[in-house]
Amino acid sequence: MREEVFKLKGNQSGLQLVFDPKISFETLRNEIQKRLESGSQFFKRGTVIQLPPDMLSKENEESLRKLFHQYGVLFRVEVLEERPKRHTSTKKAKPEVPVNPPEPAAQAEKAAAQPVAEEQKMLVINRTVRSGQVIQTQGGVLICGNVNPGAEIVAGGSIDIRGTCRGIVHAGAYGDRSSFIIADCLMPVQIRIADLIAQAPDAIEKPSYAEKASVKNNQIVIEPIER
Amino acid sequence: MSEVIVITSGKGGVGKSTTTASLGVGLAMRGKKVALIDTDTGLRNLDILLGLERRIVYTLVDVAQKRVNYGQALVRHKKYSNLFLLPTSQVADKTAIEPEQMKQLVDTMRHEFDFILIDCPAGIEQGFQTAVIGADWAVVVTIPEVSAVRDADKIIGRLQAVNKDIKLIVNRIDPQMVKAGTMLDMTSIDDILSLPCIGQIPDDREVINASNQGIPIIEWNNTAAGRAYDDVVGRICGEDIPFKPFETEGFFARLKHVFGH
Repeated sequence: MREEVFKLKGNQSGLQLVFDPKISFETLRNEIQKRLESGSQFFKRGTVIQLPPDMLSKENEESLRKLFHQYGVLFRVEVLEERPKRHTSTKKAKPEVPVNPPEPAAQAEKAAAQPVAEEQKMLVINRTVRSGQVIQTQGGVLICGNVNPGAEIVAGGSIDIRGTCRGIVHAGAYGDRSSFIIADCLMPVQIRIADLIAQAPDAIEKPSYAEKASVKNNQIVIEPIER
Repeated sequence: MSEVIVITSGKGGVGKSTTTASLGVGLAMRGKKVALIDTDTGLRNLDILLGLERRIVYTLVDVAQKRVNYGQALVRHKKYSNLFLLPTSQVADKTAIEPEQMKQLVDTMRHEFDFILIDCPAGIEQGFQTAVIGADWAVVVTIPEVSAVRDADKIIGRLQAVNKDIKLIVNRIDPQMVKAGTMLDMTSIDDILSLPCIGQIPDDREVINASNQGIPIIEWNNTAAGRAYDDVVGRICGEDIPFKPFETEGFFARLKHVFGH
């Protein structure tokens, strides 16, 4: 990596943004933008970039998040640990979507951190997908909005919904079982990953935390995640 | 400045025509010159709700196909001389009018009126496109039922695809059911539709009574629904009217009645 205003340090769950706290936010933001525009290797769509909390003000964090979003890069402010943080206690098992005990390995975030293959561009949708509308793509999808009941998202890769998901979501639609689905509020009628289908329980409560659906042991499992 | 508003819903039976009739009368009561266009060709009933059925000579189909001028087809309201209805045919079907003909008609009519309200048929086929094409913005009417909200959502998607501004009216709210948690409340509707709301109309038995007599409910200003529609008209005219909490027929509501009279 070049010696510059900021650095990106690889860790287990993604890339960590490292910079000298003395430089102004303006300079930092400009440098990041330059790098994003140059189409550098590190900024493939779907890449996750992390920042430890309290490095920047909330406004500046938000500003960076928006900047990264434009380029399809996920920006997260989170506590960096040796292993990705996970919740194990609060989750209730949903009757028809069994939740397996979490495995100790750092595999929850693994898929998010892996760079997406060249031809698989990440599609970014900046609106609510409404009933009867279908979003179909070969690669992954980032939806900054809700997926309403009656809407359908079909993606060859993974699906990330920054909002409430109440429609039908199908990740890995061309057979990729390592695809996953993340939503701030995951309450779809059906979740499909590759060839697997999970149906929502009859009574579904609105979850208050982000969740991720992925395939484990040939089953679709849902677990809470940190955003 | 004229405004052309389409009243639509996707699902049938949620109160599009009732709403159109009441908004039309309400705007006319405020001195606006208003035209109501019924585009539900083949299943017309806006004329019945306004009590104008017997006065119809020509219809929207005659106008669209250039057999007569729109002025000849307009029916003046009995009570409000600045309110007109352009009825449609009960015989023809929705293919009788092309969307482009409707757009031309609306564009010629708009110079003469302050407001043109277009009553849209249920569904999303040609009738919907015909109704929507000439409008400046849309009112989506829904009721607090999952299926109606779902259809409204679909319609909203269609309207947004053609860049129409949209406002929401939620009709037939039963305050007691909302209170008991057995009916969708405004929060859950807003959660899905997320649109600016200009009307919350309580479920009111008097609406059916009034409709059967050919009187839009807004004329009965002692009814809950009539007052709620009057507020909607005010909001359309740009007034800032807060939403009033519904009166459930509880103890305090009855007490208020006793002291009120």
